[in-house]
Amino acid sequence: MAATSNPATEQYNFDIVRKFAIMTLFWGVVGMFVGVYIASELAWPFLNFDSPYFSFGRFRPVHTGGVIFGFGGSALFATSYYVVQRTCQTRLFAPGLATFTFWGWQAVIVLAALSYVMGYSQGKEYAEMEWPIDLLIEVVWVAYLIVFVGTLMNRKQPHIYVANWFYLSFILATALLHTFNNIAIPVGLFTLKSYSLFAGPQDAMTQWWYGHNAVGFFLTAAFLGMMYYFVPKHAGRPVYSYRLSIVHFWALSFMYMWVGTHHLHWTAIPDWTSTLAATFSIMLLLPSWGGMINGIMTLSGAWDKLRTDPVMRFMIVALSFYGMSTFEGPLMSLKDVNALSHYTDWTVGHVHSGALGWVAMISFGSLYHMIPRLWNTQLYSERLVNAHFWLATIGVLLYITAMWISGIMQGLMWRAFDDFGNLQYSFVESVAAMHPFYAMRAIGGMFFLTGMIIMAYNCFMTIRQAQRAEQAAPAVAVASA
Amino acid sequence: MVNETSRTSAQTTGHVWDSDLQEFNNPLPAWWVYGFYITIAFAIIYWIIYPSWPFGKSFLPGVSKVTYVNAEGKEEAWHWNTRAKLLKETQDAAAQQKPYYDKIASLPYDKVTKDPELSSFVLSAGKAIFSDNCAPCHQSGGQGKIGAYPNLTDDDWLYGGSFDKISETLHKGRRGYMPAYAEALDPAQIDALANYVLSLSGLKADAAKAAEGNKLFHSHAAACYYCHGDNAKGRQVVGSANLTDKVWLWADVPGAQDDAGKLAAVKRVIGNGLNRGVMPAWDGRLKPEQIKLLTVYVHELGGGK
Repeated sequence: MAATSNPATEQYNFDIVRKFAIMTLFWGVVGMFVGVYIASELAWPFLNFDSPYFSFGRFRPVHTGGVIFGFGGSALFATSYYVVQRTCQTRLFAPGLATFTFWGWQAVIVLAALSYVMGYSQGKEYAEMEWPIDLLIEVVWVAYLIVFVGTLMNRKQPHIYVANWFYLSFILATALLHTFNNIAIPVGLFTLKSYSLFAGPQDAMTQWWYGHNAVGFFLTAAFLGMMYYFVPKHAGRPVYSYRLSIVHFWALSFMYMWVGTHHLHWTAIPDWTSTLAATFSIMLLLPSWGGMINGIMTLSGAWDKLRTDPVMRFMIVALSFYGMSTFEGPLMSLKDVNALSHYTDWTVGHVHSGALGWVAMISFGSLYHMIPRLWNTQLYSERLVNAHFWLATIGVLLYITAMWISGIMQGLMWRAFDDFGNLQYSFVESVAAMHPFYAMRAIGGMFFLTGMIIMAYNCFMTIRQAQRAEQAAPAVAVASA
Repeated sequence: MVNETSRTSAQTTGHVWDSDLQEFNNPLPAWWVYGFYITIAFAIIYWIIYPSWPFGKSFLPGVSKVTYVNAEGKEEAWHWNTRAKLLKETQDAAAQQKPYYDKIASLPYDKVTKDPELSSFVLSAGKAIFSDNCAPCHQSGGQGKIGAYPNLTDDDWLYGGSFDKISETLHKGRRGYMPAYAEALDPAQIDALANYVLSLSGLKADAAKAAEGNKLFHSHAAACYYCHGDNAKGRQVVGSANLTDKVWLWADVPGAQDDAGKLAAVKRVIGNGLNRGVMPAWDGRLKPEQIKLLTVYVHELGGGK
């Protein structure tokens, strides 16, 4: 891979960071392409080609696994290894284990995608991987924890920087969630099929304890860690409030663990669990916003950068989407709002305003900051970054607008009664009504994917230009290292 | 940069990471703190209204109540819960609709269709019942699907289109059957029969073959007339199709590209026979008054007799 000639002489171990950064781009393109494909299947079902291998049911986890664990996971490995070294002023602990986390994690993504297409699934959302893959994840994750904590313990700074608290809480929580949600008994030693140890509502509640905390710790806390390093670093401004970072870190970590059951409102779960989930979701609003405030206020005094710097724009728009979706989430967790929104496309739109607007945008901004520094060069093209920014922003807006309209329309059609108290619409009428919005959503996804491809191209050219410069003047490169 | 750091260093925590990363120590924004308190107050109110904190084997039931009719027919107030809410909502809806259903149950069919208010109710409730139970096969408008499910909007009925016959079909279900003639006849005979069947509907057919098919149709060798009748108009008592009209159910003649395709479609049905024509019985799945309402609804879809 694109390692420099003698990585051992570098101040930090950037070889592993470079590997993960490249795979972030790769999985971004692949995962988002599959997303556009399945969105298109819903709008134009002939794309199924009447084949199980192309069906929505098998491709959907390939998409979610590809973007969450492939793109998001690789981005988190890359940035956490980058941030922990730079803020602890030390090289990664156990570099061999770190390399193992790279190959192990990539193997997980590939094996998971293959198994889904073959038809193997645990049937647990975002935890579809069957037991052998779960075991591999477990091993990789423990290695990740050892590398990260070991590096923290070797730090040459007395204090641990805030970004690292968030990364560490993400690693610990994910270990806990992954372990307990995947306790299953294999049907046989040489079969991929297994059955969950839990049954009925307990299984559902364990699954959504996992599912929502995957959102909370994997897609929120970890990316807040990313934000806490790259936003102040890129803006050249101190973080707005250390106090706020402490308070919202602990409030967020404490509240999130309670809220998973809000995915199960109006189902066969005890009503008191649903009430607690709703209220903790509401109390989670301000702790979530703490991160947004700290990010956006960090920029006060440097607002002009928004006009001139597209990388900064990615970060600030990401924080705005983060604020919006963490407001929308508690709203949707209320019993009465959920009665309208549950099972509709509103949920899908909500997830994507977080996933595209927040997770992907903050990763784009961070990678655009990090990649030139990893290869010791400048970005190949700022204009392409700008084009990516607008394509991504238009894409997200098209996507979530389509899903808001479609979702609320579905919810209203399903509950519409006529004067005699009979259902006004059949289910299939609501499906037919969604069609234009499914097409609009697919088009929004195509915008976002196009931006992602432009980014991959821009980064590829950046790296190539760095390698050519290095070959042209090796003496200078060593001298400056 | 140096200037700015020194200007703000009084407010930062004094730690520096990665050569220039620092933190101000601004106080928590007041609106943030009060906002947080408001959400906590909101949560407490929510806990008072709805079932919330567990203790032992029980939990705080909350002050909100749902009144519904229990199994003994008595009104009962229960703490807010989704089961009681579902009972209450379905009971309320049933009570609202009961006068209409009672009237439909007590009146003969033709009186129901002549009462404008009852007709509106049949249209409303019938659409919901039809969409949930019938539309998966007969399609949402009742137009059916050639090769699979009969069209309910035309006036061609396999088992009869009167109120009583439709009701019988709904209550007991139906089972269509035709033997596979590929086992009994040779290909030339099936070809002749198919030509005859096409000619019956006024479609292009080989006259000589059709004449031969006509003979076969009425012979003991094929014995088609036994079910489809001497005049080939079908016999509703056994549910056999009328072959002389332009309505097709099993052979996709309207969908065929050319004359050869039409012939092939008919030959396929004669050769392979049919045993897929299953209409499930709705006795026990729908209530008698719902079946009666559905009978009127289907009758009024366009082709009732």
